[in-house]
Amino acid sequence: MSNPTPTQDTKAEPAQQPQQQKPPVLEEDDEFEDFPVEDWPQEETEQGSAANGTSAHLWEESWDDDDAAEDFSKQLKEELKKVEASH
Amino acid sequence: MSSIFDDFKEGQKIGSGPRLASALTPVAPAQYPDRLKSFYYFSNAVHVSADLRYSLFQANGLRLPKQEQGAWVDIFTSYWKAVGELVRFDDAPSHASWVKVFEAWKEMANLLIRGYSSNGLQAWTVPCLYVVGRYLRIFAMKADAELSSQGSVAFDDRFQDDATADFRNAKLEEATRVLNRMFTLCLSDRAPIEESRKWGIYDTTNLLFKTYFRLNTVGLSKNLLRALRASSADLPDADAFPKSHIVTFEYYIGVIHFLEENYAEAEEHLSYAWKMCHRNATKNRELILAYLVPCHLVTTHTLPSKELLAPFPRLEELFRPLCDCIKKGDLGGFDAAMTAGEDEFVKRRIYLPLERGRDIALRNLFRKIFIAGGFDESKDGQPPIRRTRVPVAEFAAALRIGTHADERVRVDIDEVECLLSNLIYKGLMKGYIARERGMVVLSKGGTAFPGTGV
Repeated sequence: MSNPTPTQDTKAEPAQQPQQQKPPVLEEDDEFEDFPVEDWPQEETEQGSAANGTSAHLWEESWDDDDAAEDFSKQLKEELKKVEASH
Repeated sequence: MSSIFDDFKEGQKIGSGPRLASALTPVAPAQYPDRLKSFYYFSNAVHVSADLRYSLFQANGLRLPKQEQGAWVDIFTSYWKAVGELVRFDDAPSHASWVKVFEAWKEMANLLIRGYSSNGLQAWTVPCLYVVGRYLRIFAMKADAELSSQGSVAFDDRFQDDATADFRNAKLEEATRVLNRMFTLCLSDRAPIEESRKWGIYDTTNLLFKTYFRLNTVGLSKNLLRALRASSADLPDADAFPKSHIVTFEYYIGVIHFLEENYAEAEEHLSYAWKMCHRNATKNRELILAYLVPCHLVTTHTLPSKELLAPFPRLEELFRPLCDCIKKGDLGGFDAAMTAGEDEFVKRRIYLPLERGRDIALRNLFRKIFIAGGFDESKDGQPPIRRTRVPVAEFAAALRIGTHADERVRVDIDEVECLLSNLIYKGLMKGYIARERGMVVLSKGGTAFPGTGV
């Protein structure tokens, strides 16, 4: 193929710049795939398999109560001293 | 191991759209790798129409109305040409070109559309439309890739600089126009629903969604949705359609809402897609979850369990550090995890909702103070009540822990108050700040941190 001359290179630049600011396009492999079959029975759905009890507890609470509250109290007291000292 | 003619004959005989469509699938099945070649070499450019008329109909003993039969012969003649361009990749690679494949395929797509609109092709054959549309898109992308690999310099010469951006996807944009005609062809069919092309509407819409996402013109989906809404009264319920159509459709609708930051609606559609998705479609399940996890975080403040992400190590790696930090109220760790995953989050367009997880982390940190504060003395045998008056200084101290502040860092009380009022405003915490006393007065009776049991 032909080689771009340096002048052409610089010419093309301003046109390319706004493009770079666009959000990145997802890669080919991030596209939703065609399913190999057109339809399937309820038992083969995610929900259908969840009914077997295999996938309980899929979502959990966002906080954790089991970590040592005492450690935290101790740490809190220490940091509290620093806060009070600085005000 | 059936030939293209076998598929055509069987499809027509038993009235199976998918079987008929497999005749028009331009990929040889693994059991019959020479299927396309033997179809192409069965005839030549001079005799192909006559040969097809014989092999599709007379030899098979099939009879269709004359016009319809003529339409199929034209479609298959055009298909034969496109297959010829494909076969060249094996037989004469130096003369093979995806641009030529695309042009030939597009011509066939147009003939097929005309077959439906004016030549009496029957509605049950509409799976042919999906197959042809699906490969039109694929060939367009290959043609665009081929053109850009041949160097954009040629384009620069002809079109000057402002055109370069648009021409990278020239063929895919051409394909979009054909796909749009397929969409209209399905949606505007006025035949009774049992024999309507409306059954093809979600599949053609999905092809357009995919293409708009690829072209970065997701906004155009609005036009499709408006048209769909206008015809919704004539469309059967979603669950009457094959699940593959609906799951894909719901996924894209979910993502479109997601990108507009309508997380509640996004969640509804994505959850539906998730529940109905085929459980072996790992890749698609992973894509659905990639958006569903941030949705859940924003709308219900729940996190994915280890079990949920176990089949998807990439997602586990992506989300687990954030989830752990949110649970622990570790703000410093949360910020570090956001920075570490930033490129991937931005690429997947999930950065914004994930960032909202910081509020949840902060809520959990402050909640720990409340738990650590223990109970006030109970009066006359009443159940004990948690200490609801908490000095602002304790929140400042907790922030020092959460942000891993070192000795020299000084936490600003105004800033702490600002964070507190933000949480209260967002409903993550209930109470008020008594500034003059430097106290936060939290709500009594298990509602100080709504929804978290305390």
